[in-house]
Amino acid sequence: MSSPARTRPVEDTIPKIENELAIGEDLEFQRRWWRFEHVVWICFTIILALDIAGVFGRGPLSKAHAKTSDGAIHMTYERFARFQTPSLISLHLSPAAVRNGHIQLWVSQSIIKPLGNQRIIPQPATSELAQDGVLYTWPSGVRPDSVDFAIEPSTAGVEHFTVRLPELGDQLTERVIVYP
Amino acid sequence: MAAVFRALFGYCFLVLMVRVVGRRPGKQMAPFDFVLIFFIGGLTLTAMVADDRSLTNAIVQIVTIATGHFILTLLRRKSKKFALFLDGTPLVLLSKSKWYSETLGNMNFSTDDVMAAIRGKGLVNPEGASWAVLERSGSINVIEADDSK
Repeated sequence: MSSPARTRPVEDTIPKIENELAIGEDLEFQRRWWRFEHVVWICFTIILALDIAGVFGRGPLSKAHAKTSDGAIHMTYERFARFQTPSLISLHLSPAAVRNGHIQLWVSQSIIKPLGNQRIIPQPATSELAQDGVLYTWPSGVRPDSVDFAIEPSTAGVEHFTVRLPELGDQLTERVIVYP
Repeated sequence: MAAVFRALFGYCFLVLMVRVVGRRPGKQMAPFDFVLIFFIGGLTLTAMVADDRSLTNAIVQIVTIATGHFILTLLRRKSKKFALFLDGTPLVLLSKSKWYSETLGNMNFSTDDVMAAIRGKGLVNPEGASWAVLERSGSINVIEADDSK
């Protein structure tokens, strides 16, 4: 036969209201919680406002421009990107970018790996590994108005990237903040 | 490893969100409250799963959430302060023909919500209820006045 279940006497420890209802209401705690909730709702409002403004990506404040001193490269990109979410780095190249019958563009390794380059539009004729990056070449006959890098960041954090026209020596180094 | 942290974060975030959004589950839930539960749950799911749709990921995350839930339940039993933080405190909404307007307002409850609970008890007016209490679970318990029996 199994032993009986352990028991203990019922103690009248729950505070009562109007000496009648044993409820254990802690109104002081609840008032502190309501104040905390008000702070949380203010934070939610701020988060929404920041998101609409684009601080978390995909908004007006996220759009960034940069160009080299001689205007050979004009770049538009999103300074705030999101983890595994598509984003675009667009490079507008001036006619001066054409050298020796072709356009050569060097991009840093960070565009390939942490920023997760998926494809390049238009596709380059050749791509070859160069020091700390990749060198792309397009024939000048099809000089593109813009070269787009469709990226999907594979890690969260702050990433710096560089694009360069090696034959002109012009380069841009910018920063993208990737949210998790 | 990332799956465990994603699941833990998602679980803790949801617990906090549901706690902040308010106590209206079960009987007190209006149809639009259901939208909140499904929407928040669905959106959290996409971030938790990410690009890993494997069975391994699902099992690891379910085990993580089950463990997290067990730990929360344990802490809730061991610590009164933690229980207060997690569940809140029972609150009086009505007492002997007095509405507790501060509580009703701050909890975003209307007198209609309390009247629904009073009617559910078979009473036809608030005078028939001695007390109405919003429990930690979100349900409203009504205690009949002696003279209404």
